[in-house]
Amino acid sequence: MSTKPTTSQSSSVRIAVDIGGTFTDLQILNEATGINYAHKTPTTPSDPSEGLLTGLQEAAELFSFSFDQISILIHGTTIATNAVLERKLPTGALITTAGFEDVLEIGRHLRTHVYANKAEERTLLIPRSRRFGLKERTKADGSIECALNDDYIKALAQQLTDCGAETVAVSLLHSYANPEHERRVAQIIEQCLPQMRISISSDISPEFREFERTSTTVLNALLMPVVGDYLKRLEARLTDHGLTAPVYLVQSNGGVATPKMAARHPARLLLSGPSGGAKAAETIAHRLGSLNLVAVDMGGTSYDVSLVEDGRVHQVNQGEVDGCPVRLPMVEMRTIGAGGGSIAGTDTAGGLYVGPESAGAAPGPACYDRGGKRPTVTDANVTLGRIDPLHFLGGAMRLNATAAQQAVTTDVAVPLKLDLEETAEGIAQIAVAHMASAIRLSLFEKGLDPEDFALISFGGAGGLHACDTAKELDMKQVIFPSDPGTLSAWGMLYADIAHDLTSAQLMNADAGAKEELAKTIAILSAEGLKRLSADGIAEKDQKLAYTLDLRYRGQAYEIATPFINTDDLESAVATFHELHQAQFAHSDTSATPEIINLRMSAIGTLAKPKTNNIASGDGKPRGHRRIYSQSRWHDVPIIERASLETGTLLYGPLIIEEAHSTILVPHDWSLTPEATGELIANVCIGDDT
Amino acid sequence: MSSLNAVQIEIIRNALVSAAEEMSVTIWRTSRSSVVREILDYSTCVFDANGQSVAQAARMPVHLNSMAACLEDLINHHIPITEWHDGDVIITNDPYSGGQHLPDIQTFRPVFHEGRRIAIAGILVHHLDVGGGAPGSYYAEATEIYQEGLCIPPLKIVEGGKRNEAVVKMLLANTREPVNVGGDFSSQLAALETGALTLQRIGKRYGAERLANACERIQAASETQTRAVFAEIPNGVYEFEDFVDDDGIELDRKLRINARLIVDDDSVEVDLSQSSSQAKGPVNCTFNMTRSAVICGALMAIGREVPANAGCYRPISVIAPLGSVVNARHPAPVANRMAVGHRIVNAVMGAFAQAVPERVPASYYGVSYAYALSANNADGSRQVYFDLECGGWGGHPDGDGANGFSCGFHNISNTPIEMIENDYPLTFLRYGLVPNSGGEGKSRGGLGLVREFRLDAPEGTFAANLDRFKIAPYGLEGGEPGRVGQLIMRRSGSDTEEILASKVAGLNMKTGDIIRLETAGGGGHGNPKDRSKSDISDDLFEGYTT
Repeated sequence: MSTKPTTSQSSSVRIAVDIGGTFTDLQILNEATGINYAHKTPTTPSDPSEGLLTGLQEAAELFSFSFDQISILIHGTTIATNAVLERKLPTGALITTAGFEDVLEIGRHLRTHVYANKAEERTLLIPRSRRFGLKERTKADGSIECALNDDYIKALAQQLTDCGAETVAVSLLHSYANPEHERRVAQIIEQCLPQMRISISSDISPEFREFERTSTTVLNALLMPVVGDYLKRLEARLTDHGLTAPVYLVQSNGGVATPKMAARHPARLLLSGPSGGAKAAETIAHRLGSLNLVAVDMGGTSYDVSLVEDGRVHQVNQGEVDGCPVRLPMVEMRTIGAGGGSIAGTDTAGGLYVGPESAGAAPGPACYDRGGKRPTVTDANVTLGRIDPLHFLGGAMRLNATAAQQAVTTDVAVPLKLDLEETAEGIAQIAVAHMASAIRLSLFEKGLDPEDFALISFGGAGGLHACDTAKELDMKQVIFPSDPGTLSAWGMLYADIAHDLTSAQLMNADAGAKEELAKTIAILSAEGLKRLSADGIAEKDQKLAYTLDLRYRGQAYEIATPFINTDDLESAVATFHELHQAQFAHSDTSATPEIINLRMSAIGTLAKPKTNNIASGDGKPRGHRRIYSQSRWHDVPIIERASLETGTLLYGPLIIEEAHSTILVPHDWSLTPEATGELIANVCIGDDT
Repeated sequence: MSSLNAVQIEIIRNALVSAAEEMSVTIWRTSRSSVVREILDYSTCVFDANGQSVAQAARMPVHLNSMAACLEDLINHHIPITEWHDGDVIITNDPYSGGQHLPDIQTFRPVFHEGRRIAIAGILVHHLDVGGGAPGSYYAEATEIYQEGLCIPPLKIVEGGKRNEAVVKMLLANTREPVNVGGDFSSQLAALETGALTLQRIGKRYGAERLANACERIQAASETQTRAVFAEIPNGVYEFEDFVDDDGIELDRKLRINARLIVDDDSVEVDLSQSSSQAKGPVNCTFNMTRSAVICGALMAIGREVPANAGCYRPISVIAPLGSVVNARHPAPVANRMAVGHRIVNAVMGAFAQAVPERVPASYYGVSYAYALSANNADGSRQVYFDLECGGWGGHPDGDGANGFSCGFHNISNTPIEMIENDYPLTFLRYGLVPNSGGEGKSRGGLGLVREFRLDAPEGTFAANLDRFKIAPYGLEGGEPGRVGQLIMRRSGSDTEEILASKVAGLNMKTGDIIRLETAGGGGHGNPKDRSKSDISDDLFEGYTT
């Protein structure tokens, strides 16, 4: 947003650092003035805390603050995800109920490719030789059928040492109903092997469905050494340089956690990538009073869709990393293989396809001149004049327009006997169709209508296609946030501390459940408040929110239903019937739903930063260029984002350029730059051709 | 109307696939029973105005290929297309009217735009129970279809938007699980409405004419691609046969499935004439089922992805004589038609292996392992636990077969043990891989699975429709066959293992009795002597072999 140093000596700064694969993004907020600054520095993959420190030092220099002015450091990291994807994991072992050692390997045994002649690869993080069965058995109601024998556990401890395990996951049947056996196993192993890291499933993901719970616990176990060691290095590095502010880690649920908690529950960081962007969307939704948003992030290889409904980011209770289920609350995200690098081609029957195969960053699109020869969505955009080859990445990278045209011509236009421009526009249109389908399906699953939503677009490749995608879905408005290059970090500035606690409660949601629910609420709330106090959150900033996962008897899927307390059970049930009707077009008000889980979020509210208006520009275009759109060439003005004049109404077609993104406002759209920095595009009514 | 270009066709294709996916999502999220909700035994499909399939949600080969044939049968022989009106839903589960077996209820809804039919949405759901001689409607001793449950002939279950409650009542009065089946059925109809709405939107956007044109071109493209793949296969006649153990009634009569594959340039014919005459027991296939199996075997054997729609079916023709196990005559029983169905897939793939040995893997387990336990609780209530399992994949020319993974004609998910134990009076003792069950070979066959459980209710009745207990999944190119499966009963308090037959009808159980099911491993591929030393030692170390 700004690069001018203005931080005064006395005021405190809040900093969010988002470490991605290539860049470490920083957002620095002056808490007194509400003005924020963006900074980027290269990521240091071998130890990302090094790049983090470098970024902080550079920012301190640029924006004139000292480390003792930092009030809070919020840290988003893909270290957990990358460790799994790159298999940089320690040697781990798994303890299960005897007879169920293979559950992790069997999984749910459903294939994705229906007519495949060779089975798809399945991720297996702990091999058979390091999975151990323990004679014991808890039943579905939590009663013990076969008691634990401490001697067996001691014998197992020896086997753990023998197989070289540094970390162990314990996942026993029905431990969500009664954690006694798992706790005992952990206790004895800890006594025998004090160095061993231990994750037990009743602590990590206390929900029924043994495969999903086991998978989550295994991931947690394998990540404990990875994340624990990283946080130790980070802490040491920061302390060495005089940074003593509290550090918080961004979790998959959009909230943050203390390093201590993150080291114990590293699986909660696994899908935290989208959290920052989703939080940013939520913040902007409130700022603009536009409470229903579809947030889309179009990068080089993928397109991520998340939802803000009624001002709140949609969460789900399960996700997946590299085919391994992660049964934990997280920001809901639908990802499809559509990005700037998506490859276009033809099949043997004269059909045209776009993606999901991607040229990625290497070799990249043909126009990158890095050896990529196949046409991509970016090549189509260059061909259509929508990307300026001389101003890509703010001019940092020069693109080869001839190579782009050549690739589109050779691979697609010639075999399909189409014009070059017609082909390039077709590639963009198909990419838009895929993206629109992904959005429609995301909304559709919840019985929501795209027309009730506005689109908020970020990511380097998104700005060129956002208005077309919205139009495809009859959405009337598109929001382009400021600083799209560091938006994720910006969103993190607004995060709160969030502890998610769950208790499996399989029973009917009627008066008979109240006593048990009240007991559970007492236990969960005591634990939640204890954790918030341990985080140093003042009592007035502690907040507890409950949901019940309800379903009709026998259903596979539960609906998270807001729930206040046990006196409120009847109205929660009524809400469930309504939600079911809204989402699935049928309900059965005569049926008593089943409770599956009671969930509690313990929120520690962190002070919210002030916002400040941006400086308005003079509104003068940098120049004009020809772009191809709707089957013809147009001469359109090119305006630098920074020179936009706030509050004025502009009409498409026009192009807005900024450092990491280009925005296309098509001819039937208008654009208003807001004083708060967002650009708002509206479809022009009555010009629907 | 200007003709559509490749861009517009791809955009319409994408929209049609979305329609099928939206129906699929609706069923998954709203259904009631474990068959649907965890095993995912259902499929959704979009057909063009004439009933030719054009898009489907990838799920279950057995359903997808045969729904089109069922629809064709309905239109040609039962309810002429001129009588399909807006707001109607046509239903059937009759195997002799294009269906598969009675639990699979198929529903079709025509979709109109400006008074013109533009598409048909179709959904098939395997329902938990439709009556008959055994829980789950898998009655292994049936000798006539009348013993297998309620047959719904082709009729309008919804007419002009109004549900025929009389038929629904009749259906629910004939199932052991009225609540689950009623819930699943509502979800099936709701999902059809979802599909219809999306298709109407597509119709409005593109117009009937362009949509029809796009459908035609999408099917033609798939046909072209499929023909191109067949053209790579050397012309000739290739033959392979495989067997079903027995039909559960005549225990010493193994059933032959003989596939004669005739490759003629860019089309193939599969002649099953030398297969056994129809069986007394319920393992028979009606013709649609057989055709579906042949298509599945062919598409799997070629090892190339082609878009699955009516177009890719066109270059494949099937010959199956009436009165044979691959084209049974009414009223032969068909509940366990998957026994012959899987074997047709095995035989067809085996025939392709003669032609293109470098592409085709050895035999997969080839059984749906359907079993049901009806538990009688102390309070007089009854619950039916139904489940399906899978086994090992055949070794592939390029590598080992997968352990315990869905393959071939079906595609199923397992039911979590914790979910079963919460819902039914059962306790599981084991769920795991069966060491040494994969056929040896340069590429080893995948391992089968073992599932063992105990009845905790006072009494129960067990039924199973299994196979490959006698005839093992074949190896190829010198690979050994996979190990056969088995079913074992251990009575409460006894150590004696009682070996059961592959087809079990109404076996009485008491508290504490234990059932153990072991599924087959896949066949091996290539000479076991050529297996690398490191692969052999890895297998031993991990305990895949002992």
